[in-house]
Amino acid sequence: MAKSFHLEIIASDRLFYKGECEHLVITALDGMLGILPGHEALVTALPTGELKYMVDGKWKYAAISEGFMEVMPEYTIILTDTCELPEEIDIVRAEEAKQRAEEKMRSKQSIMEYYHTQAALNKAMNRLKVSQKHFK
Amino acid sequence: MPNIREIRERIDSIQQILKITNAMYLISSSKLKKARKAHENTRPYFEKLQVTLDHILEHTPHMRQLYFERRSDIPEDKRKKGFIVITADKGLCGSYNHNVLKLAEEELFKAFDNNCYLFVLGEVGRLYFKRRNNDIDHSTIDGEFLYTTQNPTLYRAREIAELVLEKFEKKELDDVYLIFTDMEGNEFVPKTVRLLPFERKHFGVDKDGTLKKLPKASFLPSPEVVMNYLIPNYAKGLIYGAMVEAFCCEQQARMTAMDAATNSAKDMIREMSLMYNRARQAAITQEITEVAAGANALRESE
Repeated sequence: MAKSFHLEIIASDRLFYKGECEHLVITALDGMLGILPGHEALVTALPTGELKYMVDGKWKYAAISEGFMEVMPEYTIILTDTCELPEEIDIVRAEEAKQRAEEKMRSKQSIMEYYHTQAALNKAMNRLKVSQKHFK
Repeated sequence: MPNIREIRERIDSIQQILKITNAMYLISSSKLKKARKAHENTRPYFEKLQVTLDHILEHTPHMRQLYFERRSDIPEDKRKKGFIVITADKGLCGSYNHNVLKLAEEELFKAFDNNCYLFVLGEVGRLYFKRRNNDIDHSTIDGEFLYTTQNPTLYRAREIAELVLEKFEKKELDDVYLIFTDMEGNEFVPKTVRLLPFERKHFGVDKDGTLKKLPKASFLPSPEVVMNYLIPNYAKGLIYGAMVEAFCCEQQARMTAMDAATNSAKDMIREMSLMYNRARQAAITQEITEVAAGANALRESE
């Protein structure tokens, strides 16, 4: 049994994962970030992206949206808006959301609206990417 | 003795109202089920959010950050205070709205009713403050702040958080509070929570009064950048949690109120039908007496 640490991934609408984990790789603001047991104390913000974590020697994948992460040597907590397994992603819905966002990007809008649309587009594309990569 | 027809009409009208209250009871109980589920699903997030943030702040090196800015040079009566008040979209839910509004009113009073900006969620609160501010014009309500409290979504919470944070950044607001109804067991407690500026509650003081030497966590890429991401996120999470909590309370309150209304309508109908039967019986008795008396009189005259 490899060394492990306690991992909690909490989405705003459910408890996504709670348990032991051996290795975690996650998209941080400036690139991928790997966490192993005994990592130094670290706090970072998370953009929309993908994450993978190893349980019993098997990688598990998920798509997450914005949030933040607290890493302590013996545990890690991830708080995010949404988190989904590749097989949970509704491809049709994500595709529709992507098209809607692209359509909206083309029209004139305020800076605030632009950011919202951009975030929506990111989320949709991230979902599609994760589900295509890990779920066929 | 009231007229039979009057009683009949009264019973009919009560029955009409009973139908409405009963329907509202059923609707709110099914909505409550949904709201409860959402509430339970959000609870771990909501609770962990606060715990984690407190924990993170303990490990944060001291720094100047916009959202921590106290602006203590501004005197108490000159501070611009923002209140996000969460009420229901309609009435008929017992004291739910009343309690929140009362608390909001108290807070406004404490703030000298001066330089206050109200962001009201829910139609009832909006109308209440509009009417109130016609008489005394001190605090401002944001007329474009039109959000419903039905089925809270993260998207709506984000928009609200962005609006408030932007106003704080521009120094249009110096303090921001959140007023909503919290559920504690089966009790509804209206609450005020301070949203901005951020307070560092624990400075990690040890038992002997010295500052605890907490290990400083590292921040990627830098504490400032992380905080700039983290605090809007936290504010959004907090608002969302409050919205979910308040919506759940609202449905619960409406269900209880409508149940009580249905019961008292039933009681009234029972009483009224007793009266109705009595009146009917009295009328019949009187008629018989009259007939009998008439017959007697006829017989005697023969």
